[in-house]
Amino acid sequence: MPFKTTSERGAMASREEVLALQAEVSRREEELSSLKQRLAAALLAEQETERLVPVSPLPPKAALSRDEILRYSRQLVLPELGVHGQLRLATASVLVVGCGGLGCPLAQYLAAAGVGRLGLVDYDVVEVSNLARQVLHGEALAGQAKVFSAAAALRRLNSAVECVPYAQALTPATALDLIRRYDVVADCSDNVPTRYLVNDACVLAGRPLVSASALRFEGQITVYHYDGGPCYRCIFPQPPPAETVTNCADGGVLGVVTGVLGCLQALEVLKIAAGLGPSYSRSLLIFDALRGQFRCIQLRSRRPDCAACGERPTVTDLQDYEAFCGSSATEKCRSLQLLSPEERVSVTDYKRLLDSGSPHLLLDVRPQVEVDICRLPHALHIPLQHLERRNAESLELLGEAIRERKQGTQERVAFPVYVICKLGNDSQKAVKILQSLTAVQELESLTVQDVVGGLTAWAAKIDGTFPQY
Amino acid sequence: MVLRCQVEVLYFAKSAEIAGIRSETISVPQEIKALQLWNEIEARHPGLADVRNQVIFAVRQEYVELGDQVLQLRSGDEIAIIPPISGG
Repeated sequence: MPFKTTSERGAMASREEVLALQAEVSRREEELSSLKQRLAAALLAEQETERLVPVSPLPPKAALSRDEILRYSRQLVLPELGVHGQLRLATASVLVVGCGGLGCPLAQYLAAAGVGRLGLVDYDVVEVSNLARQVLHGEALAGQAKVFSAAAALRRLNSAVECVPYAQALTPATALDLIRRYDVVADCSDNVPTRYLVNDACVLAGRPLVSASALRFEGQITVYHYDGGPCYRCIFPQPPPAETVTNCADGGVLGVVTGVLGCLQALEVLKIAAGLGPSYSRSLLIFDALRGQFRCIQLRSRRPDCAACGERPTVTDLQDYEAFCGSSATEKCRSLQLLSPEERVSVTDYKRLLDSGSPHLLLDVRPQVEVDICRLPHALHIPLQHLERRNAESLELLGEAIRERKQGTQERVAFPVYVICKLGNDSQKAVKILQSLTAVQELESLTVQDVVGGLTAWAAKIDGTFPQY
Repeated sequence: MVLRCQVEVLYFAKSAEIAGIRSETISVPQEIKALQLWNEIEARHPGLADVRNQVIFAVRQEYVELGDQVLQLRSGDEIAIIPPISGG
């Protein structure tokens, strides 16, 4: 008769415990997910009722209550603000365009300071990669609309502040109507078309615009269209070519930098709303976080021939800003189309080829800092920048790697090289460079293709354990 | 003879990426048109042509139009090239 040893029985007991714990975890996970859904629904319902009620101007306020006096006491005793300023804040409304790295700290300080109404505009949902800088959003609300997450956080902070979430992109069709309902506008957006849209709508509606931006270790802030000062178009009449614009996803940004700029932006909004007047109208404050320096640049005055705010404006209506700027207001990743479909392979096809053991070279062209985050171990790494500069050492390395992998294959057949990057844009540029190098015979005969969607597609479709960033 | 002076050029955002440096000291004529000054800088870093229509060009922390107005420069003056950033 089979019998179990003590250690086997011990193993059985612990196995049972593991199973029980697993069941408990999955039960609680289900409970949590249903709670999240209920919360989302409650937030949505809340917004729906608000939509039915048109936003009316805030009534003037004659006096502060005892609770308000206590709550705002530290700022009330500032002679520059005082009761008068606080009463103005309480009846002020501010439209926050973008609830990300700038919008979160901005809205947080405006709510804390007692601004009467905050309109929150954002079409996007909370993602885990937002949490390092978008400080109103927490882990539990990943996947939910940013405006509901922000509104919920702001209400916890100050229930007296009215938050109006708009879970939609700001568009030429909606911007003017929305901006007219608010006294001051804060541009906390992350893209060029929205910056021109917000500017033009503020000029048409006659609203001051407090505009901040941040990237990597740098930040900029200016107040536009205030008291006869210049608008965004006076300073930047033409949008930059789309390919010269770097966003936070590609370029990176340190959360504290957006935090510093969002706080400065909140300060300018508060000064305008309280009647103190802003400091950065007709000037640009730039923050260099690496050098630890602030510089204030005196800007030009209003441009008499400005298309938006000049003497004979041509912008009399909101336009198609995505066409004007050649880029999207809602797409986070620009997709280049430099190559024909025959010059590209999918991650699935590349995986099949890899599994077949067919000789080839995989070339990873990302910057070193990204290779340090994650890499495919069999790939050769040469940053795109080295290829662009035709770096001799890198080309030598590439030639060697090809010769090594080519051994034993048919010499005359063009050797296959696959180029990969994060998203599949830089890899296309690299293919173009490699093609030109083989054309002038700086490299031997190759067939070069890039991997569509890059390592992001690899992580999504082939290997779920591969990091995404 | 043209009197020259040493000015410090600061590159921000995209211009720092293009120039590959964040600052440098260059020798330029003391009396120079704003556009010529830009052209001297662009000659050092030809890639800056991509952003010339979208930069704030500041001399001694003041915006200067890229045009024919004559600048009087002194050694130690700060020239800043500031393309807009749009992230947030």
